[in-house]
Amino acid sequence: MLVSGFRSRTVVRKELEWFPCVPPSSVKMLIDFQWKLGMAVSSDSCRSLKYPYVAVMLKVADHSGQVKNKSFEMTIPQFQNFYRQFKEIAAIIETV
Amino acid sequence: MAGELESCKPLSGLLSGLAQDAFYGHPGITEELLRSQLYPDVPIEEFRPFQAKMRGILKSIASADMDFNQLEAFLTAQTKKQGGITSDQAAVISKFWKSHKTKIRESLMNQSRWDSGLRGLSWRVDGKSQSRHSAEIHTPVAIMELEIGKSGQGILRQDTIHGNNMEL
Repeated sequence: MLVSGFRSRTVVRKELEWFPCVPPSSVKMLIDFQWKLGMAVSSDSCRSLKYPYVAVMLKVADHSGQVKNKSFEMTIPQFQNFYRQFKEIAAIIETV
Repeated sequence: MAGELESCKPLSGLLSGLAQDAFYGHPGITEELLRSQLYPDVPIEEFRPFQAKMRGILKSIASADMDFNQLEAFLTAQTKKQGGITSDQAAVISKFWKSHKTKIRESLMNQSRWDSGLRGLSWRVDGKSQSRHSAEIHTPVAIMELEIGKSGQGILRQDTIHGNNMEL
């Protein structure tokens, strides 16, 4: 899954200038998308956990160009739904 | 009084109560509550080690995520132990694990997730945009709203992000 390559801070600020009509400043731009597929083997509450998960790290920039990291974790079924949503978006973007 | 404890009818209820406390984190499931509801004629000094034994067995089964072969072997060993369980009790425990295994496992998995999870996702695709710098920008834009937070808590953060040129 590939989402917009990495951009430097100045480039981001320039690109964000194109969207002054972007409503609330809570809308940020996606700079980078990193993922990892992990397997939790054991824990204090369950010796035989065997739990696969997808961890995602998003790099987002706000309107001032400041970059922040947001990370979260998904179970495999959650990730599959996440992936389906992106597939749908990609299909629609093709038609716009 | 020992006969009371050997009766299998309330054992299923006891296992449910123990699971609520040990795995699902339900508050207020005390020893006294379980005793008075399920074994009212058994004194607390006898009930206490009995429920501790059942709790220990349940925790061992859950911790090892036993499949049915392992479960049978484990429970058989418990019936042969001094101060162990009866074969009727073993049958009740076996039935309980078979029907609750998935739910208990899910609960244990949730307990080991310490990072924020994705609680919700919504999105929108915008067509053309305009700006004061260019007359028209033809790049379509996807805007996503992610609800990121710890399970069991309210929404900690809500971020709207947009990206273009998404490829799969």
